[in-house]
Order: sequence, then structure tokens, then C-alpha cells
Amino acid sequence: MDTKELWDNVLVEAELNVSKATFNTWFSETYVLKEEGGVVYVSVPNEFVKTWLLEKYHKFILKTLRNLLESVRSVEYVVTREKPENKEVAQGKFSSSANQGSLPLNDVYINKDDNLNPRYVFESFVVGPFNELAYAASQAILKSPGAVYNPFFVYGKTGCGKTHLIQSVGNQIKKTYSNTKVFYVTSEKFVVDYLNSVHLNKVNLFKEKYRKYDVLIMDDIQFLSKKEKTQEELFHLFNTLYDNNKQIIFSSDMHPNFLQNMEERLKSRFSAGMVVDISPPDYESRMAILKAKANQHGMSLTSEIIDYIASVVGSNIRELEGILNILSVQSQMKDKELTLSDVKTLIRNSIKSRRSAPVEDIIKMITEFYNIEEESVYKKTRKKEIVKPRQIIMYILREDYNIPYPTIGQKLGGRDHTTVIHSYEKIKKDLETDSVLAQEIHQIRGML
Amino acid sequence: MKVECLKEKLETAIIRAERVTNKNVTLPVLKNILLTAKDRYLVVKATNLDLGIEIKVPVKVDVEGVVAVPADVLKGFINNLSNDSKITLELKDNKLLITTNRSETFIHTYPNEEFPSIPTLKESKDLVVPVERFLSGLKSVWYSASVQSMKPELASIYIYYEDSSIVFAATDSFRLAEKKISIKKLDEFNSVLIPFKNVSDIIKIIEGVDGDISITITDNQIAIFCDDLYITSRVIDGVFPDYRQIIPKDYETEVVVLKQDIVDVLKRSYVFSDKFNRVTFEITPKDKKFIVETNNQDIGESKNEVQAAINGDKIKLSFNYKNIVDAFQSITTDSIVFKFGEKKPLMIQGIGDTSFIYITMPMNR
Repeated sequence: MDTKELWDNVLVEAELNVSKATFNTWFSETYVLKEEGGVVYVSVPNEFVKTWLLEKYHKFILKTLRNLLESVRSVEYVVTREKPENKEVAQGKFSSSANQGSLPLNDVYINKDDNLNPRYVFESFVVGPFNELAYAASQAILKSPGAVYNPFFVYGKTGCGKTHLIQSVGNQIKKTYSNTKVFYVTSEKFVVDYLNSVHLNKVNLFKEKYRKYDVLIMDDIQFLSKKEKTQEELFHLFNTLYDNNKQIIFSSDMHPNFLQNMEERLKSRFSAGMVVDISPPDYESRMAILKAKANQHGMSLTSEIIDYIASVVGSNIRELEGILNILSVQSQMKDKELTLSDVKTLIRNSIKSRRSAPVEDIIKMITEFYNIEEESVYKKTRKKEIVKPRQIIMYILREDYNIPYPTIGQKLGGRDHTTVIHSYEKIKKDLETDSVLAQEIHQIRGML
Repeated sequence: MKVECLKEKLETAIIRAERVTNKNVTLPVLKNILLTAKDRYLVVKATNLDLGIEIKVPVKVDVEGVVAVPADVLKGFINNLSNDSKITLELKDNKLLITTNRSETFIHTYPNEEFPSIPTLKESKDLVVPVERFLSGLKSVWYSASVQSMKPELASIYIYYEDSSIVFAATDSFRLAEKKISIKKLDEFNSVLIPFKNVSDIIKIIEGVDGDISITITDNQIAIFCDDLYITSRVIDGVFPDYRQIIPKDYETEVVVLKQDIVDVLKRSYVFSDKFNRVTFEITPKDKKFIVETNNQDIGESKNEVQAAINGDKIKLSFNYKNIVDAFQSITTDSIVFKFGEKKPLMIQGIGDTSFIYITMPMNR
């Protein structure tokens, strides 16, 4: 017998034994949350009901439960928030108030004590092959914050769900361990905070503030690059928190070893705990994400539409969300379900073409990445530090942008197409064995 | 049960408790007040399962006991007794006998075992403030809360602590009111959302109470203690929108007027407003004119000039009458400043009083 059935039986018994009014007031909004080790947890709508059930009906409930299931030892009543059903409908009605302009409150429901956005929770987090390692690690952290995987370092391209993951950890810790002080901060905010404290001569307050947290979550750590003083401050903060077994969570767009203009001692500390990679979602995961998001929007999309969006939109979850927003608004406006052809026309403009990055930009990016003169790749030099970037440029242009060999050769200072083919093959072969090279190319692709 | 007491003391308690009883509910026991005579007190209790109240009235207890009687009956009767009378309450044959010098009244009772218990919170003194200050915080903002319960966090009053102030805020997403009450520094105070319906009851109940109130907050309930009064309310589990970012920091046009002037003009103009209660403000700094305009196709139209000190650019915006005049009840100063901006919320404040801020959005053209 599952818990729902069990409780339904109790409710039936209760309904027979008490008056209708009493039943409606005290029992109708209760349900079982879970059953664990012989304890049945019953959800009640408020403290009044809790007190009353405890006082008047506890014996009755326990007896009935035992009759149904012998292993039941006790019953706990838990006050839970009203179920947030019907919310979608409600919002529609809300905005109908004639032509009164409404305050731009948006939905910025950010808790000011810990900066966490309560919308980011694990319930809405889609786990797939692309992020399962990160997810598993985060679950381990939830069991004992500060003890395993400290610091926890998540990296991946933009729009892969890093922020969602780390905020969910924060929200979940807050829920499970009610006395734990969690704080979420973007590294940019951290820098501003620090600078302000320096201006106002209140560095001590700044130090105090950050040292009192039990869980510190810092997002987009790469923005600390070149901020030497702030990095030093973070270094000391890190040591204090770490020594006191406080959980620290970082996110970044690349592996700590490849963070540029970041102090070595910080980098090595970032890598000391658990470093996991969230790669862009694969096709199946994109489908799963779309389904989940569409559900949140209260939209029903046919599987062929989901299939279509998942195949045309690249790997960025944020883009997927943007498309869904467009579709949701459109279907509300037209007041009908969208067909596949509607969807096709609607999102034609919003998909960014992956093939359009101009060659010059790519060359510039890669030369910058390797810290060499842009001019040098066009020249006929065979210096080792130039040759490798040049080959990588050719490889990327061919592999990712499908540019013909002769064109690539022409663009790179009039080289023969056989040179290009050779470079392409060489990098491709090296990639199989050289993990550093693979990592570098991964980085470069991330930046493009 | 048998107690003797003075009418006035009992009357205040009954009137307060009666507010909380539930008039139209499936559970008839909630229409009742529970009277418990114990030690040297008569405890008066009432609840609607959202809000609960307990008032201790010092009386002479002859026989201890409990009785539940319909609140409206008891209130209607006691209310109309002459003031100086001493009364005796006694339970006789399952009826409540109320005797005064010149009268004898029986009220049918209700089985008191069915009367729900009111959750009891321990007094932790999370916050202690004079009643009148707390009251002014609630009264300054509660009317701005949303009357629709679809977004529970907006149908609530948000109370939190910041920089030695207790801040009260409420918004229905069309306008927003914020009131700060300065208090001494607190180490910790959990922010709380109280359903606005309960707030309006709380306001009426604690109005006229002297002294300090002390507040205790738990995850599901808030409790207010003052004197012999105990009130507990459900709290909303939700997050109030981060409203501070929408309070405009700059403005294009600033207008200072006498409160009485603008109130009179608005009332007059309102007669001619349309079905959306639209009133239009037109400000021309060049001519030093502040004109309030209303126009109703069926009735007529009206243009009124208000004496004002004007700064800034020419501007013309329409507002909902109600969203403007509501603010005035919370402003105690003689002069009022309006700060306008194109496509920005209008900000209303009393001159020289920064503790209260009210903002509302213009109507769409």
C-alpha cells in the first residue's frame, strides 16, 4: 500500500466518524508527505490544524494508521505552504486591470539575506549525461556541506546551467540545514563590494561580512582576472573559510588552470577540491529541458515541435528558454496552439547562425589566446610558437566553419591548400593523444 | 463557572475578540467566543483559523470553568449595558447567565470541546516597540497590499529589519508604500509576510492599547504580545519582490503643494473622472501652473489649478484617483512633494518626512 492510499483510507475513516464541517475544516487539506522508518509525516495547511489534530485526533489517526499498516510507530504533522497550483491562471487575471500601468517589479524575487533566487531549485533542474557528474557531486555536498568536495568548482560554457546548479545547492542547503548561513555572490559584485569597502575605509566590515557565512557561492569567477587586490582578498577569505570547513562553491567559464590573469596560488586552491565540467547539453537532454521548461510555462508543445527546436537551437539553454518565451507570448496573443510551421517562422530570426563568425575575428581571438602577434600567422615564419596557433586556426576554420581548404590557405597569407590539409590532419591526429591541446581547443571554442 | 467583573473591562475584550470570529464558515463553533475562568482571570478567546486572539481580563473568579457562546450575541448584549454596572457571568443548566443589578439574561452555549486551540508561541521578544509606532507602520502601508489572494506575497505586509529600522512595505503591483520606523539596533530579525486581511484586524485590535508590544516570529506563525493580549497570525511562506530597485532615484519634475489644497482639488475633480478613475496632472513650469484635469463624457469635465512650487520639465500624466489619494492617509506633514518622471513611477512624500515613501505608476494613455 503506498502512502497516498494509506492516507486516503484514514480520511475515509475520519469522514465517517466526524461531522462534515469538522472534516472539511481539519482533514480535507491534509496529505501524506512521506513515510520513513515507521513515522508518517502528514502535511497540514497551518498551525491551527496542526495543534488541533495533535490534541483531538492524534490517537484516532495513529490507531487507524496502525490498523492499516502495522509498522507505523508515530505520526508527525508538518505545516507546509499552500500548493502553488493555479498560479499561471492567476497571473493572467491579475494583469487584466484595465489600463493602469503596473510597477516594474518583474519577478525579481531575490532573497536579500543570501542573494539566492528561489526559482533555482533542483526540482526544475534537468539532469542529463552532460551534467550528471556535476549533479552527483552537488548531491554529495548536500549530504555533508564542507566535508566532501571543498571547494566545489563548476565550469562550462555560458547557458549550460552552472548558475542554476550552484544556486540550487544553496537553496537546498538552506532548506535542509536551517541554521546554515548561505551566501551567493557574483564575482563582479564581490569586486564592487570590496572596492566600496576600501573607499569607505571599512575593509574590516567587508572581511567580517564574508567570513561569517557557512556556505559561500561565487559565480563567474573569471571576472576576477586582473583584479589583483580582490584576488588577494579572496585568497585570504578562502583560507579562513576552508580552514573552518565551510563549503565554498565556484563557477567559471573555464577550467581553473586556464583562467587568465589569475594568481597561481588561487588557481591551485580552486583545483584542490572537486573540479567538474558541465558540457553543453546533447540533443536528448535538450529535449528533456524543453519539455520541463514548457511545463513550467504551462505550455503544451507537440513532440515534433520540441524535436524541431532541440535540433535547430544550439547548445545554449538560455537560448532554448528565450525561444520558449517567444512561443509562449505568441500563443497567448493568438490564443491558440502553435503549429510546427508557426514555430518555424517564429524562430527563424532568433536562431543565431553558427557558421557566420568572420575569419578575421577567429584569427584575432586565437592569436590573443596564445599571446602572439596577429600579423605573425600571415608571415612565412616557421617558429614553433607561431606554427601551432596557425595550425589550430586552420583546424577550427575547417572543422567548425566548414570553410574550403583553398580559401583557408588564401586567408592565411596565401598558403597552398595542401598545407592546410596537412595542418588539419595533424591537429586532428594530435588531438587523440594530446589532452592539453584538446583542452586548449575546448577553451577556444568556448570563447568563440 | 462563575465570575464577577466590571462591564467595561469585559466589553473591550469582547469587542476585540469578536472581530476575529468567523461569521460565515462551515464550522459553527468559530462564531463563538470561548470564555475560560481560571485563577484570577477570565480568558477570552476567538479564532478564524487564520488569526487567533486571547485576552486576559482580571476578574473575581468564584467557580472556575469554560463556556463557548456566540460572539455577536454576547457583544450585542454587553455593548448596550449601562457603563458602571458590575456583572456576573455564571454557567447554569448549560446556559450562560448574565446578571446585573437590574437584569437577568440567559444565552445558549455551544459545546466548548469543539473550540479549536490557538497555537501558543513562546514570547521571545524578537522585537519590542511601542504599540503606537508599530501601529503607524502597519497603518501607513497596509492599504497598498493586493486584495487578490492569487499572489499571496503581494496580499501581505512585508516587515523586515534594516539599519536600525523596522521597515513595513506593501504593494499590489500598481502602487507601493514603504514606512520605516526607527528602533534600537537589533542583532537578528527574520523578515515576515503577514496576510493583509489579518493586518487589518490586528490594526483594529491593538488600536488604543498602550505600552509596548513584543513580537515573536516562527516559520509558520507570528505572535504579538501586549499587555494581557495575545494575537497570533499565520504568515505567508513566500518572497516579497525586491522593490527597492524600482524606487526612482531621479525625477524630471518636482511639485510641492499643500496637502489640504491637493486633497480638495482631487475630491472636486474626482466627480468628473471616467470609469477608470482617471485624473490627469499637467505641469507647466514656464507658467508655474499645476492643473488637475478630469473628463467624463457622460457628466462633464473639470479643470482645477493647484497652488504649487514647481521645478523641472513640462509633463502631463494620468493617474488612478484612488492610487493617489490613498497615499495621503499616511502623510502627516502639511506639505507634500510629487516627483514625476516620464515612464517612471510617481513618488509621493511628505516634506521633511523621509520615513514614508509612496510610489504609483501612471496610467497608460
